[in-house]
Amino acid sequence: MSEGLHILVATKLEEIGPSTSVAFEIKIDSYFDVVRGIIDEFAAKKDLACVYVTASVPASTLSAALSTLEVSVSDLSFVDCISHTLMAAGERSKSTVFVESPTMLENIILKVEYFARVKEGKRLLVVLDSVNSFALHNDIKMLTEFLTILTNSLKSKEAYPVLLAIPEQMKPEIKEVMAMVSDVIIPLS
Amino acid sequence: MAKKGERGRCATGIEGLDNILGGGIPVSNIVLVAGTCGTGKTTLGFEFLVRGVMAGEPGLLITTAEGPDKLLSNIPRFIFFHDSMLTKGKVSIVTLKEITDSAGLSGSDLDEAAIKKVIAAISKLIAAHKVKRLVIDTIDTLLTEIKDDALDALLLAELSVVLHKNECTALLTSSAEKCDRIEGRMADGIIMMGNLERKGDLLRTMQLVKMKGTGHSRSKYVIDLTDAGVLVTPLFKGGL
Repeated sequence: MSEGLHILVATKLEEIGPSTSVAFEIKIDSYFDVVRGIIDEFAAKKDLACVYVTASVPASTLSAALSTLEVSVSDLSFVDCISHTLMAAGERSKSTVFVESPTMLENIILKVEYFARVKEGKRLLVVLDSVNSFALHNDIKMLTEFLTILTNSLKSKEAYPVLLAIPEQMKPEIKEVMAMVSDVIIPLS
Repeated sequence: MAKKGERGRCATGIEGLDNILGGGIPVSNIVLVAGTCGTGKTTLGFEFLVRGVMAGEPGLLITTAEGPDKLLSNIPRFIFFHDSMLTKGKVSIVTLKEITDSAGLSGSDLDEAAIKKVIAAISKLIAAHKVKRLVIDTIDTLLTEIKDDALDALLLAELSVVLHKNECTALLTSSAEKCDRIEGRMADGIIMMGNLERKGDLLRTMQLVKMKGTGHSRSKYVIDLTDAGVLVTPLFKGGL
């Protein structure tokens, strides 16, 4: 665990402001510190509607882990793109919607739009977890189109688009895509 | 407001669709919403009516295949819909049987005289409720009761006159997978709803094939039917 990393993450997001796509390059052992920084230190304190798009870990697992770390998940909405693939989809709730597969990229855009409508009046912060996971399931053209449309649409809504990536596990061409769609890349090593 | 010489628009209120249409459907157009079962035709039609009420435009839904209760139970409960829209008559739902009964017709095939009576009954409802948005779900049921293509054309032509007179815009749903039948040829606009299979994933799609009176996108879009309304996003081209 990196002491104070969550504070650093929140500070960076505060400095950068909305309508800017930010990619955090993280190490796997600092994952929860970064997520805590985004959700607890930044989004909760700014009263943002936080939408967490996960293709890495099922929403239920992530939600339980964050609760254990005393990160409040009450204002967190999940777009869970992995549970169906793992044959582990739970019940749809007000805070979690499921997309059948991380390859249904248009549906992910629509689910984010759904939460934007439901949370109307609140500024959005959307976390995409992670570029690596989406790259595993999609070819590069589709991934590029998806990330471009998602980040641009969020920027036009004055939201905070946040991408998570683990650079050690990324192919060079995926790094190029991430560089193309991110206005700011912050290495957190 | 429409400029001189330009037709007014009926903004559907379905954000993505209005973007595709460049603002909305030209007023008084008849639009065929065609596609197989489960593609979202009824949901789209009902949202069109509810959004109309929110914009101060009363709506009429003529259901030809199922009763109002069953129809409503099969579509998402929109978060912007209130039961008072129905009870206060802002959206009226009538069955085809109620229309044919009010026209004094029995359940047999519709001939020319019967078609004129049906249209007169619809016209009366439109005028009585100052209806600006009409949905017939589905037009197939009505057309199957007419055995002659020329009479199908008569029904649609007479309906068009009534709509024009009342500045009322209509969506007619149909389970046709192609738009080469009479209703497709006579409609002012065609929205094709469908399913697209891509690597085992099934996506709901929407494509505006024609719309008289306006320029529009002809691209294919992916849609989602939610309680926050019908959501629309472009289909990614990298996948085709």
